[in-house]
Amino acid sequence: MNWVGLWTLTSREVGRFFAVYRQTIIPGFISSILYILIFGFTLERRISTIDGIPYTMFIIPGLIMMNTLTNASSNSSSSMLQMKLLGQLPDLLQAPLSSFEISMAYIVGGTVRGTVNGLLILLVGITLGGISVIQPFATVGFIILVSVAFSSIGFLLGQLADTWDQLATLQNFLLTPLSFLGGIFYSIKMLPDWAQAASFYNPIYYMINGLRFTILGVSDSPPMTSFIVALIMTIGFFLAAVLLMESGKKIKQ
Amino acid sequence: MTPAISIRNLTKSYEDTIALSGVDITIGDGEFFGLLGPNGAGKTTTINILTGLVRKNEGDTEIFGRDTVTDYRFTRSQVGISAQEFTQDWFFPLDRLLYFQAGYYGIPKEKAKDRVEELLSKLGLVAKRKARLRQLSGGMKRRFQIAKALVHDPKIIILDEPTAGVDVELRHELWDYFRELHKKGKTILLTTHYIEEAEMLCDKVAIIDKGRVIKEGTPKELTSQLGKAGITINVSDPGEELESCLKNFTYTQEDGRIHFTTREPEEALPDIINALTRHGCHIQRVVTTKSSLEDVFLSLTGKGINE
Repeated sequence: MNWVGLWTLTSREVGRFFAVYRQTIIPGFISSILYILIFGFTLERRISTIDGIPYTMFIIPGLIMMNTLTNASSNSSSSMLQMKLLGQLPDLLQAPLSSFEISMAYIVGGTVRGTVNGLLILLVGITLGGISVIQPFATVGFIILVSVAFSSIGFLLGQLADTWDQLATLQNFLLTPLSFLGGIFYSIKMLPDWAQAASFYNPIYYMINGLRFTILGVSDSPPMTSFIVALIMTIGFFLAAVLLMESGKKIKQ
Repeated sequence: MTPAISIRNLTKSYEDTIALSGVDITIGDGEFFGLLGPNGAGKTTTINILTGLVRKNEGDTEIFGRDTVTDYRFTRSQVGISAQEFTQDWFFPLDRLLYFQAGYYGIPKEKAKDRVEELLSKLGLVAKRKARLRQLSGGMKRRFQIAKALVHDPKIIILDEPTAGVDVELRHELWDYFRELHKKGKTILLTTHYIEEAEMLCDKVAIIDKGRVIKEGTPKELTSQLGKAGITINVSDPGEELESCLKNFTYTQEDGRIHFTTREPEEALPDIINALTRHGCHIQRVVTTKSSLEDVFLSLTGKGINE
């Protein structure tokens, strides 16, 4: 292993998003506060509780998950595409770094950004939404697990995309709808039967509910099912991203 | 002695285009080697295969006797590349980018510090150390590319068009620096569009065209084998016995104008002048013509290097 190389590239990836924190950290923080204020406090008058949980508190795990997965995936995807378009990729491919080391650095970079954003929203939830976390370690663990999964997805998309337009298409037409339809703002029990059945095929539904369970102790899906789905997704996308890098398709001629 | 770079029967094709059709190049340790060829000849593809950016179809590529695919960690650590295209970066200052580059090659920041300082100073980038790449002029970007190639102190330096787009003064400064690196024992592989650059710097050159090396040798060998050179002397009174006096030379005569064909005009000139003066000729004018690598290139490829 080229440990120094791996550390260098990882710290570059982490340093990159901290250098532009106004774009990478602050927006999720502000939008989550707005979601809580606008959706939470206004809708709470109409939807008092879901599963005995006040509506404002109910949406917080969904907001954490939405921020976590969008930040994790956009970090690794945009960084990889940027490297391609700015001509920086040869610096990595010509260095004594393995495909696995390069993949790890990108995935860790996205994981850190996803986790930092997720924990910040959790902090907002604790201070503004008044939640008390039932299983703090499991909550942090779940945020990290989902960050790894979506950072891997982002790294995969970043390798596949050749333009910003392609990348935005994949994010806007795939990740965003799946997140919103995964039950951020509602319990699937509020949906008609066919929509409930469709939700079972949305992996993000399990992630939101898994996190909701660790924070609030309520969930639409069994906690173990949520954990297993999150774990399978993480392993699956991690392997897919690393193997695509190893194959060199879309990266090497 | 194991060569620094060994390329044997290298082939590469992109869909329906053949980029390389059996390239063979051997570069000795410490050699300054020039790879010349018109656009699309296969120079960059050869370099990119050697450095791991492009996958070959067939053939062997070795650095110090070790395979560049199976033993890539070793081979890549031996090579520093100054690419023709400028890298861009939006986030980090120059010195940090150099530390990153050293890190990729396994050199931690504290160990790279002296080297980074030395290169910033040597290449005149100290004042710009905290600047972003977009704030640099073309010449400074070129110097940064070279600093990046050298930050891990590689034994082999690949310079892909290292003076493209720089002014004459900087070009000469860079040539001096490349000579200095060569004197220190570095093996240098240079690709260039400036034939003069290859003629002045390289121990050996290979001319590549249509994915194949068509000629290889020292610049002197190539110009003397393939070039057309000569001496034209105008004499006032050639006389009738000139033929016997110049029997050891190849020449044509038209009244008082005698043209000698020779591959080494400078070496032949004293003998010719001796012969003519012994014969009693009064020399009025001497013109020597010597072909350059550009002429060799033209005669081999049928086109100029910039075409």
